[in-house]
Amino acid sequence: MAEVAEVAEVAGDRIRVMVVDDHPMWRDGVARDLTESGLDVVATAANGTEALNRAPAARPDVVVLDLQIPAPNGVEVTSALVQADPAVRVLILSASGEQNDVLDAVKAGATGYLVKSASRSDLLDAVLRVAEGDTVFTPGLAGLVLGEYRRLSDAPAARDADTPRLTDRETEVLRLVAKGLSYKQIAERLYLSHRTVQNHVQNTLRKLQLHNRVQLVRYAIEQGLDEE
Amino acid sequence: MSVENTLYRALAVLRFVITVNMVAVNLWRRDNMDHPWVGWLAVAAMAGWTVIAVWAYNAPERRRPLLLGADLAVAVAGVLLTLYVKGPDLQATLPGFWVMGAVLAWSVHWHWVGGLAAATVVSAADVSIRSDLTQVNYGNLFLLMIGGPVVGYTTGLLKEMATARDRAERAAAAAAERARLARVVHDGVLQVLSLVQRRGLELGGEAAALGRLAGEQEVALRSFVQQGTAAPQSSTSGDLARALTMLASPSVTVSVPGSPVLLPARSVDEAVAVVRACLDNVDVHVGQGAAAWVLLEDLGSSAVVTVRDSGPGIPDGRLEAAAAEGRLGVRESIRGRVADLGGTATLVTAPGQGTEWELRFPRD
Repeated sequence: MAEVAEVAEVAGDRIRVMVVDDHPMWRDGVARDLTESGLDVVATAANGTEALNRAPAARPDVVVLDLQIPAPNGVEVTSALVQADPAVRVLILSASGEQNDVLDAVKAGATGYLVKSASRSDLLDAVLRVAEGDTVFTPGLAGLVLGEYRRLSDAPAARDADTPRLTDRETEVLRLVAKGLSYKQIAERLYLSHRTVQNHVQNTLRKLQLHNRVQLVRYAIEQGLDEE
Repeated sequence: MSVENTLYRALAVLRFVITVNMVAVNLWRRDNMDHPWVGWLAVAAMAGWTVIAVWAYNAPERRRPLLLGADLAVAVAGVLLTLYVKGPDLQATLPGFWVMGAVLAWSVHWHWVGGLAAATVVSAADVSIRSDLTQVNYGNLFLLMIGGPVVGYTTGLLKEMATARDRAERAAAAAAERARLARVVHDGVLQVLSLVQRRGLELGGEAAALGRLAGEQEVALRSFVQQGTAAPQSSTSGDLARALTMLASPSVTVSVPGSPVLLPARSVDEAVAVVRACLDNVDVHVGQGAAAWVLLEDLGSSAVVTVRDSGPGIPDGRLEAAAAEGRLGVRESIRGRVADLGGTATLVTAPGQGTEWELRFPRD
């Protein structure tokens, strides 16, 4: 435990976590697990409104967020949290793995995704990695992201210069993640460093998030919202 | 049914109009009657029948062949009686346009066949009492013969459209209900199942066994709920993404794109069967419950499914040796089935790297 507590720090402070879940047993269970592992659970919230109200004062480093919460939903909360504080990391913890919601949340700025059936150590590991700025991918998320890039390149607007594209290496790495290989295994197979693999994975998300923001801004301009 | 109800209600209004018309025309041309008493009695009887008919047709259970037969019989009797009331040099029949009430009732009930039959019977009666058929008489009969079947055909069409609409509404309601159930299941049952699994595994012992059971059910229910909320698919093409998601289990991770991957229904069934065979093979060669990953990618012109396990892999030459001995086994069975769909199956394996099947299914 002492070993974990040592790791659970960002720049000398304990990692501050907010847990958002409408299921009380889950919320308390996750909060207890994280506290026992030496993290600082600074707030909990049962719905989107509570989450957005408590985040500014609690200043969490990581928000562990259930997607299916009373309105505003997980995707909207992710978007609002990241917009208010670009440094905050959002880890999605979802029971149903509802495909499109997960994809939307990731595009809105979440950098990690885990299904609720993941074990306690998986959860802790994910929180620590997300806090350090890493992205936490499941094979399922990798499959979704691959599909999303393909969908974007097949769309009529694909000629557009700012349609995000994966490099061959990124596609290769993402496919291996989707096939269940760990970053370590991928590094061994492709003769890359662990850090390089991590960077490739991170880039795939960053490009999608950037594209998403550009699309939103463009939409706002088209609708004349920027004039107000 | 509601289409027929509406049409009979409209017909009731029409019957009122044509009855008023019949009484008025007979009053106007009352001098033409050789036997006025019988004539007025017949007109009164037809007006009385109209009242009975409107009441009778108002309830679906009373719309029996007997009622429709009586309706037509009254109209034909009115036509035939004209010969006695007005003599052989008659011009207009006693009922006149009133006969259309019975003909249209037949059209609504038995569609174009009924309309045609009733119009034919009335026209035959009309022709039979005339010594001399004028062009005006012919024109009226022609309209009747056209109108009956046309109204009947339209009624049939309306009923089919209403049935189709009801079916679509039922399907939409069922889908909405499934989506609602999925939400409820998600918010409650799935959460608790994953919680039981998590805590159970931490507690160990018998609780761990319970936790594992809960975990299996959680995965099964999750894929079931995801499948239930997707749009209904047609019978000719299927969504391979959805079908593969159903294969997920605590040991099998399935990754698919966010949008449907449509293939001909036969290809979907066959592709799922092949993937299942690959997974069974993992159970046999790596061990029961060994971890495996399934990845589906949509490449536009083809769909690619990769099945990977983390087993020891197959040493070089072992498959070839097995083939040489005549034991073709799994590899040929999988290759053959994929080839039947015009696709290719590639096996990538090396000691310590696990085994990876890449199945490519073309789209055409």
